[in-house]
Amino acid sequence: MDFRFSDDQLTLTESVRDYLAGTHGPEVLRRLDEQGNRDPAIWQGLVEMGLTGLLVPEEHGGLGLGLVEAALIAAECGRACLAEPLVDTAFVAVPWLVRRGELGDLAAIAAGERLVPLPHVLNPWVADGSGQPLQSVDPLRNLVMFPAAGSSDPYLLDLGALMSSAQLVGLADAMLHQAVEYAKIRTQFGQPVGAFQALKHQLASCAVAIEFAKPAVWRAAQALQDGGESASVHVSHAKVTAGDAALLTAETAIQVHGAMGYTYEVDLHFWMKRSWALNGAWGDRAWHLKRIDQAVIGGALPIGPEHTFA
Amino acid sequence: MDLTYTPEQQAFRAEVRAWIEAHVPKEPLVTLECREGYDQHVAWERTLASGNWGMVTWPEAYGGRGLDLIQWLIFEEEYFRAGGPNRANQNGIFLLGPTIMEFGTEEQKARFLPPMARGEVIWAQAWSEPGAGSDMAAIQSKAVRDGDHYVITGQKTWSSRAAFADWGFGIFRTDPDSKRHKGLTFILFDLNSPGITRRPIRQLHGDTGFAELFFDEVRVPVENCLAGEGEGWNVAMATAGFERGLMLRSPGRFQATAKRLVELYRAHEAEASPAAREAVLQAWVQTQAYAYNTYAVASKIMAGGKIGAEASLNKIFWSELDRMMHRTAMQILGAHAELKRFGNGQINQWLEGYIFSLSGPIYAGSNEVQRNIIAERLLGLPRVGAG
Ligand SMILES: Cc1cc2nc3c(=O)[nH]c(=O)nc-3n(C[C@H](O)[C@H](O)[C@H](O)COP(=O)(O)OP(=O)(O)OC[C@H]3O[C@@H](n4cnc5c(N)ncnc54)[C@H](O)[C@@H]3O)c2cc1C
Repeated sequence: MDFRFSDDQLTLTESVRDYLAGTHGPEVLRRLDEQGNRDPAIWQGLVEMGLTGLLVPEEHGGLGLGLVEAALIAAECGRACLAEPLVDTAFVAVPWLVRRGELGDLAAIAAGERLVPLPHVLNPWVADGSGQPLQSVDPLRNLVMFPAAGSSDPYLLDLGALMSSAQLVGLADAMLHQAVEYAKIRTQFGQPVGAFQALKHQLASCAVAIEFAKPAVWRAAQALQDGGESASVHVSHAKVTAGDAALLTAETAIQVHGAMGYTYEVDLHFWMKRSWALNGAWGDRAWHLKRIDQAVIGGALPIGPEHTFA
Repeated sequence: MDLTYTPEQQAFRAEVRAWIEAHVPKEPLVTLECREGYDQHVAWERTLASGNWGMVTWPEAYGGRGLDLIQWLIFEEEYFRAGGPNRANQNGIFLLGPTIMEFGTEEQKARFLPPMARGEVIWAQAWSEPGAGSDMAAIQSKAVRDGDHYVITGQKTWSSRAAFADWGFGIFRTDPDSKRHKGLTFILFDLNSPGITRRPIRQLHGDTGFAELFFDEVRVPVENCLAGEGEGWNVAMATAGFERGLMLRSPGRFQATAKRLVELYRAHEAEASPAAREAVLQAWVQTQAYAYNTYAVASKIMAGGKIGAEASLNKIFWSELDRMMHRTAMQILGAHAELKRFGNGQINQWLEGYIFSLSGPIYAGSNEVQRNIIAERLLGLPRVGAG
C-alpha cells in the first residue's frame, strides 16, 4: 500500500506541465480561437514528447505506460486547456483498441499520423472527426455529429469518463490559480480584493473541493488499470467529484473577476467552457450518480471502514 | 502507486479484527460526557492497553507497537468497523503524545508516554480562555517563575474531558511584558493540583462535555514545561497540526457513519426525498475521498514528507462532511428525529451525532479560521487589512 506517485511519474508529469506552460499559454488559445482552432505545430510538439504513444505498447512504437500516467498527463492537458485531440485519441481510443486487440492503427497513432475519435451512445458527437459540424459552447472543441451509431461498450465509457475527470481537476486547478492571481492584483477600497474574507473563503472552499477530488481520480485510474470489478463505480466517483469541483471553481472564479470575468477578453472563459463541456461528456452527473447509487444503495459494492479499497 | 495491501498488512487486519471483535463492548457505552460514561470509557482505554492496542504507532518502549501509519489506518478501520467507542484519551494519544515525541526530553517521554498509552492518565487540552478563542495569541493566563516552579494564575475554558480527566496541557504567558505569540510556554499540569477549580459546563445536549478551569497560584514544577520557556506558540501549533491533520479524525469513523446512513436510507426509502438520496450518495463519495486522501497523506509522511497548512483542508472537509451526514439522517428520520429514544427504547444516536457534529466546524480551530489559513498560506492571498 503506497498512495504516492513514483518519481518517474512525477518527473514525466512535470516535464509535460513545463512544456505546456512554456508553449501553450493563454495567448495560444486566443490565437487558435481566431485562426481555425488547430495548429499542426502544437500537435507535432506533443508527438515529439511521445505523448501520442504514451499508452501504445512498446512493440508498436509507443512508451507502453499505463492509465495512471495518462490520467496525470490528462490533468496537465486540462490545466493548459489543451484543445488538440490528444486525450481522446491517445488516452481513450488507444487503451480501448488494445483491449479489443485492434492493434493495426497503433503505430500510426503513436507517430501522430492518425486520430481516432470514438463516439459513445452517451455522447454521439466527437471532437476532431468528420461529419456534420456542431457548435459547442467551448470555442476550441471541434465537434461533429458522428454518422454511425456510437459504441455502447462500458469500458470505452469508463476510459472517456476517467480522462474527462482528470482534465477537470487540471482545469479546476488552473481556474483557481487565475482567480487567486487576479484577487492579488485587483484593488478596491484601497486593498487587494483578495484580502476580503468573503472572497478568500470562497476560494478556500474551491481548494478543499479540488483537494478531495484528486485522490478519487487517481484511485479510479489505478482501479481501471488493474481492471477490478468495481472499477466503474470508482470512475463514476471521480467524474462526479471532479465535475463538481470544476463547476464550483468556475463559478467562483468568474465571481472573483467581477465584470472582467464576464468578458471574452479574460482567458478564464476558455477553462470554464471546457469544464462545462467535459462535465456533461462521457456520462453526465446524473448518469454517474446512478451508477454510484446502484453500487452503494443497491448494494453491489461492499461499503464501510474496512472496504476503503474494495 | 500501489493500492493493495501486502500479506503482512492483511494478516495484521485479521489480528486486529479478531481482538476487537472479542473485546469491544457489546452494548454502546453511556456518553463520555458524564461520570458513569467517562468511567466506562476509561475502563475501555485500559482494556485496549491490556491488548497493547493503546496507540499502535508509538515505539514499543512507550507502550506502542512501533507500527507504521498504514497499519494505524488499518487498525482504525477495524476499530470503527466493530463500532469501537470514542477514545477517552484522544487528547493524549493523538495530540499531546506526538507533541511530546517531537519536543519532549527523554525524561519527559519516559515519564508521560507509557501511562498515557496504558490509559492510566487521561489528558485534557487547555488552550482556550474567555478572551482567547480563535485568537489564541490573546492568552492571558500567567505562569510566573518562582525558583524551580511556575506559579499559574488565570482561567481556561471549553476544556474537553477536563471535568473528569487527570492531567491537562496548555499554553501560558511566562513573560509578563510579552505580546501575542511571544512569551508563551507549553506546560503540563496535574488537574488535581491545589489551587485548580474545575467548573463543568453543560453542552448543547445537556451533559457536561467540557469544563472551565480556574488557576489560583497553582505551583507546577519547571520540568513540566515542554520545549523551552517562550516556545509555547510553536509547540502548540504543532499540536494543532496533529489535531487538524492526520490523527484526530481517521476516515474509518466517517465511513462507519456513511454505512449506517445507507442502511437507514434503505429502511426509509419509500418516504425519503430525492435530495436525501443524493446526500446519502454524497456520504459515500466524500467519505471515500477522505479515506483516499488520508492514505495519500500517510504514504507521504512515511516517505519523510510533512503536512503543514494542508491540515486545514482536512479539518474543513471532515467536519462539514460529518455534519452533512447527520443532517441527512435527521431528515430521513423526519418526525422521529426529535426523539432521544425511539419507541423501541433504542437511543437515537443520529440525534446525539447531529448535535456533536455541529461542534466540528467550531473546535480544533473554526472553519472560518481554517479558510483564512488556506487562503493566506496555501493560496498566497494577502492578509486581512493588507493594502
Ligand atoms: C465541543 C468543543 C470542544 C472543545 N474542546 C476544547 C478543548 O479541549 N480545549 C480547548 O482549549 N478548547 C476547546 N474548545 C474551544 C475551541 O477551540 C474554540 O471554541 C474555538 O477555537 C473557537 O473559539 P470561540 O469559541 O471563542 O469562538 P470565537 O473565536 O469567538 O468565534 C466566533 C465566531 O467568529 C468567527 N471568527 C473568529 N475569528 C475570525 C476570523 N479571524 N475570521 C473569520 N471569522 C472569525 C469564528 O469562526 C466563529 O464563527 C472546544 C470547543 C468545542 C465546541
